[in-house]
Amino acid sequence: MRNTFRGGVHPAEHKELSRDAKLRLYDPKGEMVFPLQQHIGKPAKPIVQKGDEVLVGQKIAEADGFVSAHIFSSCSGKVKAIEKRRVLTGGMAECIVIDNDGQFTAAADYSTRDSAGDLSGNEIIQRVQDAGIVGLGGAGFPTHVKLKPKVPEAIEYVIANGAECEPYLTCNDQLMRTHAPAIVEGLELVLRLFPNAAGIICIEDNKPEAIHAMQIAASGKQRITVRTMITKYPQGGERSLIQAVTGIDFPISSLPADVGCIVQNVGTLYAIQRAVLYREPLFSQCFTLTGEAVKEPSNFFVRVGTSYAELLEACGGIKEGKTAVKALAGGPMMGVAMGTLDVPIQKQNNGLTLLAEDPVEKAEKMMTACLHCGRCTTVCPVGLMPQLMADAAIAGDLTRYEKKLYGLECIQCGSCTVACPAKRPLMQTFKQAKAEIQEKKKREGGGQK
Amino acid sequence: MNGVLNLSSSPHTRDKWTTPYIMRMVLLSLMPATIVGIVVNGWNAFGIVALAVVSAVASEWVFNKICHKPDTIWDGSAAITGLLLALSLGPNTPLYLPVLGSVFAIVVCKGCFGGLGKNFINPALAARCFLLISFANAMAIKPAVDAVASATPVGALKAFEQVDITSMFLGTADGVIGGSILALLAGGLLLWSLDIIHGQICFSVLIGFTLLIGLFGGKGFEPGFLLAHLCGGGVVMGAFFMATDYVTSPVSRLGQFIYGCLIGVLGGIFRLWGNTADSFSYAIIIGNVCTPLIDTYIVQKPLAYRKIGKTRTVKKEPFRIPKPVIALTLIAAIAGVALSGVFFMTKDTIEKQEMAKETAAYSAVCPDADRFTTSEAADKAAEAAANDMPRVNKAYIALDKDGNTVGYALNVTAKGFGGNVTMAIGLTKDGKITGLAFTELSETAGLGMKADEPEFKSQFTGKGGKLSLVKGAASGEQEISAITGASVTSNAVVGGVNAGLNFYETVLKGGN
Repeated sequence: MRNTFRGGVHPAEHKELSRDAKLRLYDPKGEMVFPLQQHIGKPAKPIVQKGDEVLVGQKIAEADGFVSAHIFSSCSGKVKAIEKRRVLTGGMAECIVIDNDGQFTAAADYSTRDSAGDLSGNEIIQRVQDAGIVGLGGAGFPTHVKLKPKVPEAIEYVIANGAECEPYLTCNDQLMRTHAPAIVEGLELVLRLFPNAAGIICIEDNKPEAIHAMQIAASGKQRITVRTMITKYPQGGERSLIQAVTGIDFPISSLPADVGCIVQNVGTLYAIQRAVLYREPLFSQCFTLTGEAVKEPSNFFVRVGTSYAELLEACGGIKEGKTAVKALAGGPMMGVAMGTLDVPIQKQNNGLTLLAEDPVEKAEKMMTACLHCGRCTTVCPVGLMPQLMADAAIAGDLTRYEKKLYGLECIQCGSCTVACPAKRPLMQTFKQAKAEIQEKKKREGGGQK
Repeated sequence: MNGVLNLSSSPHTRDKWTTPYIMRMVLLSLMPATIVGIVVNGWNAFGIVALAVVSAVASEWVFNKICHKPDTIWDGSAAITGLLLALSLGPNTPLYLPVLGSVFAIVVCKGCFGGLGKNFINPALAARCFLLISFANAMAIKPAVDAVASATPVGALKAFEQVDITSMFLGTADGVIGGSILALLAGGLLLWSLDIIHGQICFSVLIGFTLLIGLFGGKGFEPGFLLAHLCGGGVVMGAFFMATDYVTSPVSRLGQFIYGCLIGVLGGIFRLWGNTADSFSYAIIIGNVCTPLIDTYIVQKPLAYRKIGKTRTVKKEPFRIPKPVIALTLIAAIAGVALSGVFFMTKDTIEKQEMAKETAAYSAVCPDADRFTTSEAADKAAEAAANDMPRVNKAYIALDKDGNTVGYALNVTAKGFGGNVTMAIGLTKDGKITGLAFTELSETAGLGMKADEPEFKSQFTGKGGKLSLVKGAASGEQEISAITGASVTSNAVVGGVNAGLNFYETVLKGGN
């Protein structure tokens, strides 16, 4: 039995570049940069000062409010500065800069296992919050917030997201292959919070080794099943995954918890296990550095704060005879194109893809007028009509866009743009239209929320 | 790291589908119909296809040059327009028409509305309608072989005449160049199996049309009648290649279904009650014009809003038959059903036609007869001799208006040179031959076939008893002069006549 959702696309996977590269720990040299905002919500507040000595796993910035997350040092050394540095998005942001002494002296022993048998639900959530865990699938939403829905008893499914539908990326695949028992333990810890929930591990069928490993780890666990999904993007998107597992579609104004689902990335579950059982805060995560332009595509346990450029050097740099024309933080579907690699890796980042050829550049040359072929409508996982939305957005008819075509329901997965034979930049149009509508609402609403 | 990194918004990958890929696939799927059309209809058809395609591409190029627009001929859409137009023309259309039509299609219907993706009606169809209205005489479809205008199969169908579905199916009937239903179906189903055309459109067109014809066509859902309607008048080409044109068809599934049904029903209405055989083009054009309206009002809601408060069942993907397999099976099934259907439908007709031919032959050989009847004794005798050669197959008693016996008509078969020679022999009440007519004669042309000429046949009139064959001029009462160089045929005819006369002597004589 294979499950899937409606629509979606199947872009070229390119996972063979790094799929068999073992996860390795990389210890960076030189300075480490920790942006204060590595999550959705309010930026953290620094609790160290210039000149302070810090150790691995020491808290250096504290969450500001409930929807925020602590930040921990991933190296030992001296705080060099707290200043504005360039970050992933291209802009400047407040960062703590630590001069790494190369010793990686830990603040505590993270290898002794703590018994969790008598921990209450609230204690588990507290430990997760204390460890500064955020969603490692890419969004970076603070995990402790997600684990506290209004009615925990109403949660029917805790979905472990091991789909990894993003092309190129393979670190979750490797993590599942090598750390399957830990992930299952992490899922069990989450399941303790939701007495009526079943744990479902979803993995796409292009990762047979991971499926096998997870099945072995989950065997005998009554509340946990492993499901094989058809390889399709955006399977790893929360909404698509919930649809595939439960058959429920829900509007963008609702949260997964409203339909009885909690989705956690397998990397996050691993981090939860480390945090609850070993009291290890989140200062490293699994990470794929890949692409045609990379000499040795690799999977890492990377320390937060490592520079992208340094990690690339650890992979042997750029392949001879190739030029990197595009650097993507993440994979080609959701990734952000980077202008420079001299920015730090943040908690929620899970990959760097260096492309030797830019498909977008090629596509722009092949752009024709819209044929009305309807492929975008076929692939839209939300069930929208991107072609009509684009017509309305271009014509400036934002009322039709929003009210008749439900344009704000777009989850910006980009499936329509990938599928479009006329190579039209649909999603970019929608992003703009959405921004315009929100701005208009703000103006008309007089600052109301 | 050196060099500048490209910046762009995600997603950073694209599918292999491109506009030229789609157009190439459509062109490819039209190839079977084009090739069949050219092979069946000859050089003039080739000229029409070539001229239409070349002038469509050329006018696109010129139009873009004049309007300072980017060159778009390589996307292949102009070539498709030209080809579709050519395939919807008759094989003997004067050669200036495809050129004129292509220019009209590209410049007026497409270019003037903004080029690819902006036209509101299918350019090829619009051009066809333009030609139909403006050049009604020249557009009338003439058979390729002799240039005498005759009714097309659809014309015949409108008049409730019998049509030859087999030839329509294969594309050898008088009609448009792209008339081969089998080739069109193969191409159309290929496109459908590649997900290039939407099944909602082509199948709802066919279903809508079939339902309307079945309900109101006057013959109910008789398969042969429906099949004949479906095979004629561009229904298949319209359903698979014209109505499915992306630009001029709606986007939502429901909209596509409505659009397809609209075309099918309108096509049926025009076919039944309109006064032209080419009505399907107009039906599609009307569908095209309705498309913006459908797209404005028929919009699909996001999944989350379709069934509020209900969860749908989990979509599992067990085993799915791949579309190409379905398409191939469909082609095979349609061909099989059509061919066997044609056989069964034509079986009765063929028998009827043979009967009519025989009856005509009997009337010719018994000029005094008003009607014919059988007798049991004659039937029995004929049955008993069924394996003889020559043999009497059937004997009829010729009656006049008042029911009096005026003579006999016999159906006799003898072995000829090229096969069986079957003839009708008319006898008077007292056994004298009144006439001779052949119902089956396949002898050597110029020799044996001379048996059917009056010069030979008339020798028999008035004779009776037992006849003998002589070479050269006949001298005696009972002698028949043989055809020079065809003694086998002459022998067969005389033998057959003798068998008939003998049958008269032994069975019929005496007024049984």
